Formats: sequence, structure tokens, C-alpha cells
Amino acid sequence: MSTVYFEEIEEGDEIPPIDMPLSKDQVRRYAKTANMYFPRFTDDEGARAEGLPGMIAPGVMSMGLLARMISDWNQAATIKRIGTTFRSPVLPDRNIHLRGAVTQKNAADHTVECDVWMENDDGERWVIGTATVTVPTKA
Amino acid sequence: MALEFDKSIIGKIFDETDFPPITKEEIVEFAASLGETNPLYTDEAAASKGPHKGLIAPPTFVTKLRPTKFTPENLPKFGKVGFDGGRDLEVFAPVRPGDSLTMLSTIHEIYEKTGRTGSMYFIVIRNEVKNQKGEKVAVIDHRIMQR
Repeated sequence: MSTVYFEEIEEGDEIPPIDMPLSKDQVRRYAKTANMYFPRFTDDEGARAEGLPGMIAPGVMSMGLLARMISDWNQAATIKRIGTTFRSPVLPDRNIHLRGAVTQKNAADHTVECDVWMENDDGERWVIGTATVTVPTKA
Repeated sequence: MALEFDKSIIGKIFDETDFPPITKEEIVEFAASLGETNPLYTDEAAASKGPHKGLIAPPTFVTKLRPTKFTPENLPKFGKVGFDGGRDLEVFAPVRPGDSLTMLSTIHEIYEKTGRTGSMYFIVIRNEVKNQKGEKVAVIDHRIMQR
């Protein structure tokens, strides 16, 4: 397991980013397992019938991907809280860039506050959020 | 301008849904669909040697639980169009295979924000998840925007 200890983290540290294409098949797979297999999350035509420009990814999938970025960074971390705002529809068949940074360390309970966000190739932040994460200590 | 609606709607439980026991397979598939590689969520043998002594679900797993009734019947309609504004998730205990989860739903808050493009209304639905031991597992606040 890749573990990052509280003592090794500094405020301002970047969380290792994830850059990936988000495929329609991955969105459909998520929508299926997450009980969200609705037209807007499965095909362009169904989404257009609902007034959307095309198929979109569920907001909670974006939240799940941002949580995964934290778990990829530190497998021993526990997410206590994560809050996300869906600012713009997330359109598949494009690249997404998951980003994060540590904004504050709380020594009393060994938690760190993080900013997390998802942006597109043009740097537009489609999803923004914050997370409180408990991390292990060496002591 | 104060919002006019029956305030007694706030905080009242309008839905209680019991879910079938969570399976190992659905945890592993949920994790895979997000590309998770953390063995705590993906590898039962490795997870059994870890801090939870077994497989646990990724933190956002509880967002897949769908209540029977999404909103109460008497929820006022403030706008013409609704958007999914966001989620706030607080996690208290891990979800494990075999857990029987129950979700209680309330309207937590309704408020108005006025911006350049006019008024927006925010309805916050709070879904509280408990397990078979009565432990609070998670609280999910779902912000719906209407305009």
C-alpha cells in the first residue's frame, strides 16, 4: 500500500493529478452500477431528448473520481467529508484532469483539508470541491 | 424577498428505504467503474490483512443508494427547471459486504440566492444512511437548484 504520513505532508502540497480520457463506456459502466442508468447518462440521443447538448456523466461520478484521486495518492487515507459543486455538465469523450492540493493541516486530529477539482483541456473547472481527509501518523 | 412555503416540511422524514444486503461483487464493480486500484476496495485477500480486516466500499458508494421517494409529495416547486447542484458527503463508518443499509430522507434546507441572471432556489435533501447495527454510516446532502 502506498501510504503518506501526516508528518510528510505540507500545506500547499499538490495531490498527484490524474489526467484521463473519460469514455462513454466508462460513464455507462458507472451509471449501471450506480443505479443511474438513465438516457442522459447512456446515449446522446436520449440526452438531447432531455434538452442536454449530449450524453453527460452523473455528478456523483465526478465526486467518485475526485475521491479516487485522494485514494490513489494515499491508500491509507480515510475521507471524512467531501463536498462537490457541479458547475457545468461533464461531457464524455473528452479529456478530464483531476487536481487537488492540501490547504490546511490539523494536528489535533491528523486531518488535512484539501481543495479538489476537475477541469477540461481548456482549464475550465467543471467540478469544484473540498475534502477533509484523515491520514495516518508515524507516532 | 422571503420564500413562502410551509416550513413544517423541513426536517420531517418523508422516506425510509431499506436496501438488500450489500454484496462483495457490487463493491468491487463500483470501485472498478471509477478506476480504483486501492486494495481496500478491490482485493479481498489484501484487504483482510489491512486496517478494516476485510473489504470496504469506496466512500462515495453510498451515493448509489436510491430512495423510494426522492422528494416529499408536498414539496413546493420554485422554478421551471431543476439542476443537480452538488453533493456534500460526510462519512462516519465504512460500508462492508453483508451490510443491510437503511436510508432516511428529509428536506434539510430551502433557500434563495439572487444573482445577475435572477433568482435561484436551492433545495437540500438530506439522506442519512444507517447500517444494521444502527450505526450512522454517512450523511449525503444533495443540493438541487431550481430557476
